[in-house]
Amino acid sequence: MTVKKIAKSDFTSFVDALIRTEKTIGVQAKGDRFDFAPLESAKDLRLDYDVTLQPPKKYFLPPSEVLLTFEVGGPYQSQLDGQKFILLGVHPYDMVAINQMDELFQQDNCDVHYVTRRQNATIIACDVAKPSDHVFASSMGTAVVKKGYDILLTDIGDSFVAEAATPKGEQLLAKAKGVKADAQALKKREDVWARNKKSLNKHELKCDPAYLPKLLAKAYKHPVWEEKAKTCFSCGSCNQVCPTCYCFNVQDDVNWDLKTGQRVREWDGCLLDGFTKVAPAHEFRKARADRFRHRLYRKGAYVPQKIGGQIACVGCGRCVGACLPDIANPVSIYNRLIDDLGIG
Amino acid sequence: MAKPKIAIFDFACCEGCQLQIVNLEEEILSLLGGADVVEWREAMSEKSDEYDIAIIEGSITRMEDEERLKVIRGKAKVLIALGACAVIGGINKLKNNFDDLEEVKKCVYGKAAGKPHLHTGPTKAVGEVVQVDFSVPGCPIDGKEFTYIVRSLLMGKTPEIPEYPVCVECKANGNPCLWQYDQVCLGPIIRAGCGARCPSNGFRCFGCRGYVDKPNVDAAKDVINRFGLNIDDLKTKMVLFGSRQEPTIYE
Repeated sequence: MTVKKIAKSDFTSFVDALIRTEKTIGVQAKGDRFDFAPLESAKDLRLDYDVTLQPPKKYFLPPSEVLLTFEVGGPYQSQLDGQKFILLGVHPYDMVAINQMDELFQQDNCDVHYVTRRQNATIIACDVAKPSDHVFASSMGTAVVKKGYDILLTDIGDSFVAEAATPKGEQLLAKAKGVKADAQALKKREDVWARNKKSLNKHELKCDPAYLPKLLAKAYKHPVWEEKAKTCFSCGSCNQVCPTCYCFNVQDDVNWDLKTGQRVREWDGCLLDGFTKVAPAHEFRKARADRFRHRLYRKGAYVPQKIGGQIACVGCGRCVGACLPDIANPVSIYNRLIDDLGIG
Repeated sequence: MAKPKIAIFDFACCEGCQLQIVNLEEEILSLLGGADVVEWREAMSEKSDEYDIAIIEGSITRMEDEERLKVIRGKAKVLIALGACAVIGGINKLKNNFDDLEEVKKCVYGKAAGKPHLHTGPTKAVGEVVQVDFSVPGCPIDGKEFTYIVRSLLMGKTPEIPEYPVCVECKANGNPCLWQYDQVCLGPIIRAGCGARCPSNGFRCFGCRGYVDKPNVDAAKDVINRFGLNIDDLKTKMVLFGSRQEPTIYE
């Protein structure tokens, strides 16, 4: 596949061309922070961002979506989002999260709503130019990414190295003015990768992430869960900003004719009171500490079982910044367990 | 099957929640298609003593209002508390923070304080006087949530309103946390369902929807300390909608 070196001025024209041809969502400033939003002009694109407020997850699994419309006692109609779009500026850790969701949503009953949006997306990933305050992707092995995207961009100073990874990416990249990346440009890209593998590490995990399932196997009754949960609001902020949290709730709502209606899926979160409430009112994970523990077990033990051992925390650090009482940091919890329980 | 009869009654309030229903405009016609509205002072002149669903707006501050409310409860199969004043007592409960209510009355009404219709006691939420079947929180209510609740009831379904706090909707909207911008936001302890309207527009959560079922007081104290504030900084923010949310007893 093609690897191009694109001068920054030419890159701007390339992005403007993308915006003209297809709905393009890119990273932009939001106050003094950053977030993904529909892009109207290349000049709003900020590939020098540290981390976005929300992960790009919402473009595949929206906070609220209509799954189907129905008529009581009659037929139903699945609602699929058919709009094609380009997602521009996905950091490697977020790309890893999307790769994991791709696996999860295609397992068992394939989720046609997720998969349709995913198929309609062209992802242009980009290597991290500036580490955020809480990133620990280096610890999680997600500081660089090798699959999932259609194009990968790396800022090497005066230009970008852009590598196409799929026919879709190849086709798009053909529109960009640039030259074949020379050895010097590729060397600079290697340097960025080498740097990020070390520097995206504001919180350092004291073990290989692959060890986490074994660590958690002996930590179920550890006091840390009660200790941390004492000051947990159960506000689910950690869930809401997480690129790998995908739990949802489904509710039916009827229209005023009381005959037709829609089935709506909304994000849910395992920290929330009521998350485990089942009909009629039984709640099987009632205690705050049990819910607090569950999130760390999902990331470090349960989900990995479903996706070949990959750890479902990608080290974006968003939960660390979003948690008001500062108890959400997975690294500080896992490290505490390592200190107390040892490795091996 | 006959359409269910709905009656809307107001007590101590600004009637802004009823206004939210009036503001539904086209949807009101749909509401009227599914139900017969038989009494609604703000929008029609007819009155009726027969209704299935009573919607109560406002809080209860006078003995005669308690009696009136009990009569309504006796007639209604389902009773809905509408808006912060009805659900939690709302802003009206501010006065319950004072020991001398006569003093409060003079301060508010001046020379008119002695008039008989102003003879009021401590504020009560509707649920402190009669049994409430469903609540529509908020100041004012969210029109969409109100119509969802009414439609659910017309279908014979139990409406689900969020148990979780405002942070959930605020984060889903992609907002940065206002605490990081020096605002003492009540989002972590207040019931969601408003779509985090205030924080999404740059204002802290004022708490109009009332506390979640299990607010974590220890967490609030911890956060206050972490941000170098003292507990009064939080309490002064909670007083507007959070005053005396426990049941109020007349002396």
